[in-house]
Amino acid sequence: MQESKSIIEMSHVTFRYGEAAAQGKEVPAALRDVSLRIGEGEFVGVIGPSGAGKSTLASVLSGAIPHHYRGELFGSTLVDGRDTCDVTLTDISQVVGSVLQDIDTQMVASVVEDELLFGLENFGVPHDQIEDRIARTLDTVGVAGLRDRETATLSGGQKQKVAIAAILAMRPRVLVLDEPTAALDPASSALVFDTLRKVREEGVTVVVIEQKVALLSEYCDRILVMDGGALVLDGTPREVFAHADELRRIGVDSPRVARVYNSLARDGLVRGATPCLTVPEAAELIGGLVGSAVRGPAHTADDARAAAIRAGSKHVAVPRPHAVDATPVVSLEDVSFAYPGGTASVDHLDMRVYPGEVVGIVGQNGAGKTTLTKLLNGLLRPASGTVRMAGLDTREVPTSAIAAHCSTLFQNPDHQLCKDTVLDEVAFGLTLQGVGEKDARERAAAVIARFGLPSDEAPFSLSRGQRQMVALASVVVMEPEVVLLDEPTSGLDYRECMTVMDTVSDMAERGCAVIMVCHDMEVVSDFAERIVVMADGRILGRGGTQQMFGDADLMRRACVRAPQVTELSQVLARTTSPEFAGISQVSGIVDLTEEMVRRG
Amino acid sequence: MVNVIDYVPGDTVLHRLNPVTKLGVAAAIIIATFTADTYPMLLALLALTFVLGLYARATSKLVSLLKLLVPIAVVMLVLQTAFMRQGTPVVLWMTSEGLVTGSKASLRLLGVALPLVLMLSVTKLNDLANACVEVLHVPYRYAFTFTTALRFVPVFGQQMNAIMEAQCARGVEYDTKNPIRKLTLMLPLCVPLLVSSVGKTDATALAAEQRGFYLRTRDSSYKRHPMRALDVVVLACGVVLVALGIAL
Repeated sequence: MQESKSIIEMSHVTFRYGEAAAQGKEVPAALRDVSLRIGEGEFVGVIGPSGAGKSTLASVLSGAIPHHYRGELFGSTLVDGRDTCDVTLTDISQVVGSVLQDIDTQMVASVVEDELLFGLENFGVPHDQIEDRIARTLDTVGVAGLRDRETATLSGGQKQKVAIAAILAMRPRVLVLDEPTAALDPASSALVFDTLRKVREEGVTVVVIEQKVALLSEYCDRILVMDGGALVLDGTPREVFAHADELRRIGVDSPRVARVYNSLARDGLVRGATPCLTVPEAAELIGGLVGSAVRGPAHTADDARAAAIRAGSKHVAVPRPHAVDATPVVSLEDVSFAYPGGTASVDHLDMRVYPGEVVGIVGQNGAGKTTLTKLLNGLLRPASGTVRMAGLDTREVPTSAIAAHCSTLFQNPDHQLCKDTVLDEVAFGLTLQGVGEKDARERAAAVIARFGLPSDEAPFSLSRGQRQMVALASVVVMEPEVVLLDEPTSGLDYRECMTVMDTVSDMAERGCAVIMVCHDMEVVSDFAERIVVMADGRILGRGGTQQMFGDADLMRRACVRAPQVTELSQVLARTTSPEFAGISQVSGIVDLTEEMVRRG
Repeated sequence: MVNVIDYVPGDTVLHRLNPVTKLGVAAAIIIATFTADTYPMLLALLALTFVLGLYARATSKLVSLLKLLVPIAVVMLVLQTAFMRQGTPVVLWMTSEGLVTGSKASLRLLGVALPLVLMLSVTKLNDLANACVEVLHVPYRYAFTFTTALRFVPVFGQQMNAIMEAQCARGVEYDTKNPIRKLTLMLPLCVPLLVSSVGKTDATALAAEQRGFYLRTRDSSYKRHPMRALDVVVLACGVVLVALGIAL
């Protein structure tokens, strides 16, 4: 890998944003002394917490720094041997193609074909080659069938692929992508990475910023970890994920199977620093450790036997006890709804949620999850059937009245924020419900203090993660009976994600019913006791989280991939010992393995 | 969400005309509508628009726009009758003269808005921009700004919708029946919309530059938009239409 010719060389690059920095004033550096060499044909993943400088790094690679963003730049960046300061942005972009985070702003055309034409025309590709280029690029990316489609009618995943195709058509030698899968479900995310892998096979160097560690570890051959503007780790996925403690300190997630390995290594059961990255690797490792002594009964284990073992196992999460006779705080009875124009619909939804429960709703994009949440908070009214929210029939009361009982945390906090200061913002919901100004501000101030937010600052001046915290604080302060979360963790780094989820769990402890739509199955597995599996506007199944994840057929029909630990425990239960069945936590797998090694 | 300027795919003569010709036709109908002063001519022009819409299978667009325009037209009619009190009284305060000028004004409103939307709905925006650059020699920068602005209309529409929903779910009474209260509640939302639009335009400029925007010339376009004989014939019809509008 290191022998390949380098296409990008950064040496001691430091960058500070803004006019103030350009005039030499003190501004914290967005990049600090980054030196980096990327060889031709590498597939590099970049990860790090919010504000670590990942997007800034992408801007330096693509020439947007120094040519578009103002600021103070030190060091040198060579792209294909030329210093980015000495050539124009247009020259750089003929070598480095970049796909922006918000693809809506990148698209220039209303039709897919025109989107690809734009760059080709501008860079003066001879007209007799254009047809061939378009056809081949669409083919590589796997969207040949979309050529004449309107971009507005594409799904998120298709749009992302078209955006990649539009850049790829220009034949850049490096492709830089900023969180291409942030808005996508797991299946579409994997397809985008499949596309990137194919692009790399055609000889293009790929640099991708990504928060999903499982994808990075599976597809990339090199991972860069950034923190506070500096490059802190650089190596193969195995090398990087061996630094468990350091990653945790920085606030970067590790694949769960790598965590299993790292825990076993910490306890001295395995030696070396080459963590597993996939479920089969981990299963093989544990199978080898535990040995064949206990393998016998596994082949004959039937469900009853497995269940008996599971019932007695301390490694299986015990569902939170809630009163069997309790009245559900949310209930849907035979609810159907169709959007005008017949584009999408949900049919015959039945569901009950009790106080203190955390219920996850999983399924592909377009399965009807968001429609379900809108039916719950009253933004949509059912065409047939009834939705009862805290005793109110949503068809009989205005949405603003439902808001007194049910708070929604939206995926994009920016849609929620509208006040000048954090304090006003958090108090706003209370005043809307008729709480007195003074009382509202006192309650808001208490919550803000608990979250450690700056109460006098303007919400829009905060970082993305902090804006999400402000939105969350305005939900918490309402002390609602029901909380709806729509993709609560998207766009957040690992630490912010945990803060959000811990807060939500606290609310559930205090009797609030939590319903969350979430694509991150690890989060669902860790926090939800029950899940509702949706596909094509219908509920395919509902039940205990592990039971649902364990139903391979159901997961396949819903196009949902069970979390890694669940997959691992299933494989181990099949191949090694039925005792592994139903374990959902890394610690459970590790404890059981160690116990079995001691016994064995 | 129904968007009035979405492209309606098709292969009719109207679709195949040079985008500049289509603009010309729309302009001709609009000018004729302004200059025409008789009911038959005004109605004929509206009918022409609808026949063209029917032919291009874009009537649904026109109808959805009509739903929006008819209430405005009715308000205009009522206001006109209130101000124009000459002539003989007909019913209530309305006079014959008031009704005539009012109804003509309303017909003109419809006749002006519909042709443009019809032409836009049978033309891909990029084709329109490229044709304007090629035929009318409009600088590409302006054409690009224009198409980008149009493209952002639905994007902002969706965003506004998402913001309204988020605020509504918080308990802001957008579902109030009082329109003035609704308006005052909507004003603070301009802040988040403005913040995000500034960011979006900046990112758009960067992305366009990274795709060679500044290298583009009049000859860059892969698809050519020459004026054909048919275009000349159609434009000649447009001139006749304007002449008719002035005469009648």
